[in-house]
Amino acid sequence: MASVKGCNIPDDLYYNVETNVWARKEGDGTVTIGMTAYAAALAGQVVSCTPKKVGRSVDLNKSAATVESGKWVGPVKAPVSGEVVAINDALSSAPGTINSDPYGSGWMVKMKPANWDADSAALITGGAVAAAFETKMNADGFAGCGA
Amino acid sequence: MNHWRVIDTGLRPAAQNIALNRALLEARQAEEIPSTLRFLRFTPSALLGYHQSAEQELNLDYCREQGIAVQRRITGGGAIYFDDTQIGWELYLHKRDLGTADMQVISQRICHAAATAISALGVDARFRPRNDIEVDGRKISGTGGAFDGDALMFQGTLLIEFDVEKMLRVLRIPAEKLSDKAIESARERVANLKDLLGRRPDASVVRSNIVEAFESEFGVEFSDGDLTLSEHRRYQAALREIDHPDWVGLINRPAADMPIVEAAQKFPGGLLRVAVTFDRQTMTIRQVWFTGDFFVNPRRSIADLEAALRDLPLDRLEHKIESFFAGRQVDMLTLRPADFVAVVRLALSQPLMASNS
Repeated sequence: MASVKGCNIPDDLYYNVETNVWARKEGDGTVTIGMTAYAAALAGQVVSCTPKKVGRSVDLNKSAATVESGKWVGPVKAPVSGEVVAINDALSSAPGTINSDPYGSGWMVKMKPANWDADSAALITGGAVAAAFETKMNADGFAGCGA
Repeated sequence: MNHWRVIDTGLRPAAQNIALNRALLEARQAEEIPSTLRFLRFTPSALLGYHQSAEQELNLDYCREQGIAVQRRITGGGAIYFDDTQIGWELYLHKRDLGTADMQVISQRICHAAATAISALGVDARFRPRNDIEVDGRKISGTGGAFDGDALMFQGTLLIEFDVEKMLRVLRIPAEKLSDKAIESARERVANLKDLLGRRPDASVVRSNIVEAFESEFGVEFSDGDLTLSEHRRYQAALREIDHPDWVGLINRPAADMPIVEAAQKFPGGLLRVAVTFDRQTMTIRQVWFTGDFFVNPRRSIADLEAALRDLPLDRLEHKIESFFAGRQVDMLTLRPADFVAVVRLALSQPLMASNS
């Protein structure tokens, strides 16, 4: 568990720091993805989330879901390429879960990765996570989660 | 000094304007174009926010009768009616132009600059949270944004000579909001530059004020430009997707999932009526309208309260209304903040049937 400027950034997940998304390899071979606590803090209260439909294939760093907060709309980019095999239906009635539990019940889609080994090699995990996010937060002029 | 580009893409149908949104945002993200200010106008169009459903937001029969195009924006927020009596402005920026990645801070900064531009025409325009610009409590510009990676697009409308009644008929709202009195009251909440100034402002002056305000805000200089070849190419691809029923129908929820419920209640301080658009799926208040027979000063407080209650999760209703009144001086004789809570709760206690279609 890592905390960076008050934002919870668990170090057992895989991150694309640039696009501010996380990935978790599940026991069944699928990959769960979502927004980081930092991304949720930048966005503010999320009011809508529309994931890509099950069965759609998504290229690396292309939109896996679209979120809206404070009248801003933007993509959540897939940290791995693959096919969407499940979406979190609960987000349509409770999109605020993305802010309150970004790594748990705020997950967005599960993908069947096309090439986990190659894609995950470009992601950051473990001890390097905290420093990578601290650098990004400083570059973004970010004061901190809850600041 | 940094040089940014300003373009004017003229009067276009909604599908073309939205396709240009997509094309320019992509081109900015790919670093193919400089940061850009675009002016635009629309032939009559009903524009949904990205996550909205046409059935829930619009009077589609009226739109068909009147030849009003229905389109989906790539930006968030609520449905609007846009025609050639309004000017649209849009900024396409890179996050490094802004020095922050906090989306609320970015929209406030842009709205403050836009308010300065409008004020230079001779009115007192101000930013009103969350995303409006107003003159003395009356909305004169609505805004919304989209981002893709480090690129972002923020857009606003500017009402020059706006037909409020037409806007009300395009939107799905309570039938009683179309009475003469209700239309008059809606006119009091919307500000037209022509009415405020007593004349139609010169479009070129409006544009140059907006250019100067953004130049000053961002410390840049704008140069006139045209769409580039890469933007044209991206535009053609985007138009194929956006000028299509699948794009307009991307989010498709029935009107019955978002009923409009109404209630009236007599309090010692007066009679309060309310109509509430309520999203049953997310248990969220989308919009409220308060009318009735009561005293409130300043009068704009009601419009401000309605703006504060937009897109509010139901479980935050009491807190939001209490904190709204705690944060400002409002004289309403013996009417209490709790009375506003009570009448909204009364409306929502009814069976949530669709009260109009």
